[in-house]
Formats: sequence, structure tokens, C-alpha cells
Amino acid sequence: MSFRWKHAEAPARAAERADPVSARFSDQLIAVLPRLRRFARGLAGTAAAADDLVQAACERALARAHQFQEGTRFDSWMFRIVQTIWIDQLRAREVRKEDGDVAEDRLGSDAAVRGIEARLALAEVRRAVERLAPDQRTTLMLVTVEGLSYKEAAAVAGVPVGTIMSRLARARVALQQQLDAGGGVRRSGKNAAAQ
Amino acid sequence: MQQHSDEALVAYLDGELDEGERRQVDAWLEADPAVRERLVALAQSDDLVRGAYAGIVNEPVPPRLIAAARGASEAAPAAPQEAEILVLKRPGWAAIPLPDRRWQIGFAAAAGLFGVIFGGVGTYLGMGMFNPVGPAAERQLAAAAANNIWLDNAAGYYKLTVNAGDTMLIDVPASNDPREALQKISQSLPQQVRLPDLKPWGLTFRGARLVVVEGRPAAQLVYGTDNKAIGLLTLVIGASKQPDIPPTFDRRQDVNLLYWRHQGRAYALVGQTDIGYLWGIANDVAWQLDAI
Repeated sequence: MSFRWKHAEAPARAAERADPVSARFSDQLIAVLPRLRRFARGLAGTAAAADDLVQAACERALARAHQFQEGTRFDSWMFRIVQTIWIDQLRAREVRKEDGDVAEDRLGSDAAVRGIEARLALAEVRRAVERLAPDQRTTLMLVTVEGLSYKEAAAVAGVPVGTIMSRLARARVALQQQLDAGGGVRRSGKNAAAQ
Repeated sequence: MQQHSDEALVAYLDGELDEGERRQVDAWLEADPAVRERLVALAQSDDLVRGAYAGIVNEPVPPRLIAAARGASEAAPAAPQEAEILVLKRPGWAAIPLPDRRWQIGFAAAAGLFGVIFGGVGTYLGMGMFNPVGPAAERQLAAAAANNIWLDNAAGYYKLTVNAGDTMLIDVPASNDPREALQKISQSLPQQVRLPDLKPWGLTFRGARLVVVEGRPAAQLVYGTDNKAIGLLTLVIGASKQPDIPPTFDRRQDVNLLYWRHQGRAYALVGQTDIGYLWGIANDVAWQLDAI
């Protein structure tokens, strides 16, 4: 049994330790990584795509560290960067269409996946989120999962608070409809969430 | 109308309505069972969404993201050529050609009587009394045996620390400025010990101890977290004359170890947590201590 540690995953070489300000910035970044990964997972769908997104966001954040305003929320600033990169990727690859295709495939009548086991229920909820329109998905992740206020979410998304309200309502109604159509999720969801 | 009421209900659930709007929704709920039902359904789907993503924040963060956050993604080309992480198996004692059976008995007795610490010391001293077949073989055997003892000791100290709980004897307690206090422990070591900051991993420094590993003094840094799934984690840092090796995984006494040597120092990160999590932390420790 052996592991191969690929280049991209190799531990960082002993480069020069950055100055204290940069080090503090990196520390903030590391502290928020778990939440960035969760947010990115909600947007990108898969773990690998989400981590690619977070890595790109880290690189952009470090390059633009001077633009961060001390005293404002660092996590919101990073959410905005993740969201911006993701939208850029969507536009570049026309993923919006791809997503639709994938979603249809996944929607397919795989009864087992729609089963009532708690683990699968979680996966089904995630797939339902993936099927939401990108702006609704972003808003749902920011408010419902990450716990941002409407005002904070509006700042991240760069839209008025009213837009956040309407996107959120549409997202939740669409989600509810999908979950209802999906069968057993509602029955088993509570168990799944408890796991 | 439906869209409007959905927005109001969603904002109601999120606590985003002002007093007047909230009272209006309260009135709807009071008057219309269908609205109440809709509110419950929306609240349930919120719970489902939160639950579906809740576990992700507890997953180990991939080392490449830590490196990226440290601005180290461009340093990857300097990393070893596809370093292979070997899971070393502990060679059976029968594989080490001990010339005299009494040494085997002696080691077993020493380990049994004095435990892992003194067993390690005794065996380290005893290594010099072997009569190996040649200088190269002698070095190889000594290195293998010393490595085994080193890892056994590191794992043994970890278990002692876990079992001791709050009664653990600490040479350097965690204080407002543990770095300064850590200098005291470094006075007994060939090199200054630095303290990695593992707060981004949710780990707080609990204290440090001076221990004897492979017959030499070493520092054992203890970190803890309230997350029972992670538990205690220790970092053992000692001097070593062995050649550098990349991070390598091993498992001893039911605990996971990631160990490596770099420029005259040996490191072992020890814990019972997931190996992926240890990899991430080892990466960060190596970065902070300039250890790799």
C-alpha cells in the first residue's frame, strides 16, 4: 500500500514566509476555507470542481489582498470572489446549458437514488440545489446555508436587497417542488440531517 | 399574489421582516391554515438544505488549498518529483539478525519492565553492541531499528498523553505567550523549537513536554480541540542524524503517524484522526516550521 503525492498536492516548499500582514491575511483565508469549500460545493456541484474554484479564489484573493477593506467581513469578501469566478466559468463554458443536460440525466427515474435512505436523501437535496438557476443557487447558499443576512448577501451578489428576496423565494419554492417530486426526501430528510 | 406571499413567508422565516410586516404575516398565519402549511413546508426544505451541506465544513481541507492560501501554489514545481509516500511496515524483530539471543530477551525485558520510554532508550544504547555483518548493514539495521523506536516512542507518548487527560504533566503550559515559554524547553534540545499555529485547523495549543525519544530529548507539542472526532494531536520534534525523508505514513499502537526528517530534525505528527486531516496539518506545519 502506498500513496502517491502528486505535485499539486505536495506540501508547500519552504518559500520565504510572507510579511506579518500577508501572513495574517493567509491565516484568515485558511480559517474560512471550510466554509468556502461548502459554498463552492453548492455552486459547482462536485467536490473536485468546488476545490478548483476555491483554489482559484485563494489565488485571486492573494493577488488582490490590497483591495480588502479592514473592518469589513472577510468571509463575505471571499464569497464574492468565489461567486465571481464561478460566474466567469459559467459564461466561459456555457455551463448553464451543460448543467441543464446533466440535471435532466440526473433527474432520470433512478428510483434507488430517490430512495428513502438518509444518506441518499442528502445527495438528492444537493442535486435539487444544483438544478436551481445559478443566481438562485448562489442566494440560497449565501442566506440559508452560510447564514448571511439579506443585506450581506446583496453586497456579495452585487444586487439590491429586493432582488435577494425574490431570488430566495423562487429558489425555495423551486426546491420544494423538486423535493416533493423526488419522493421520499421529505420523509427521510430529518434523519439525514441528523446524521 | 402567490409570489408576493412566498417572499414574505421566506423573509419571515429568515427574520428579515420589520415589525409591521411581521405582524401582517402573523395575521395571515392566524387566518389561513394553507399559509401555515406552506410556511412549515418552506421551513422543512430550509432544514434539508442546511443538513445537506452541514458536513462539508468538517471535511479535511486538501493540502493544495492550504498551499494556495499561503500563496505557495507556484512553489509546487520545487516539490520532490512525485514523492512517493510509503506506508512502512514495521520489520519483524526476527528480520533483524541479533547475534545473541540474550539481547532479544534483554530488549523484551527492558520494554516490559520500563515501558516504551526506557525501552526506547535501552534499545538505542543496545544498538551499539550489535555485531553486524558489515558497516553498511550495520548502518541500515541501526537506521531501521532507530526509526522503529522513534515511531513507537512517539505513538507511546501520544497514548500516555491521551490517557493522562487533564492530569497530563506539562513542562510548558499554554499561556498568553507560549513561544517565550517554549524557549525553556528548547534549552534541553540541540535546536530551538518553534510553535506552529494550528488555530486555522481549530486546534489550540495545550502545552509542551520534554520527552525522550530514541534515547534523545525531544519536544512533544500537544494540541487539542473540542471536536471529539479529531481529539488530541501531538507533534514530536527531535534531532536526527538520519538522512532527510519525505512525509511518510505509519500506524502504531492504533494511532496514525505522519513522520518526516529534514535538515537534522525528525518530526512526527501523531493523532487518531483521519489521515487526510493529518496530511493537511502536516503540510501546514512543514510550511510554518520550514521543515520540508
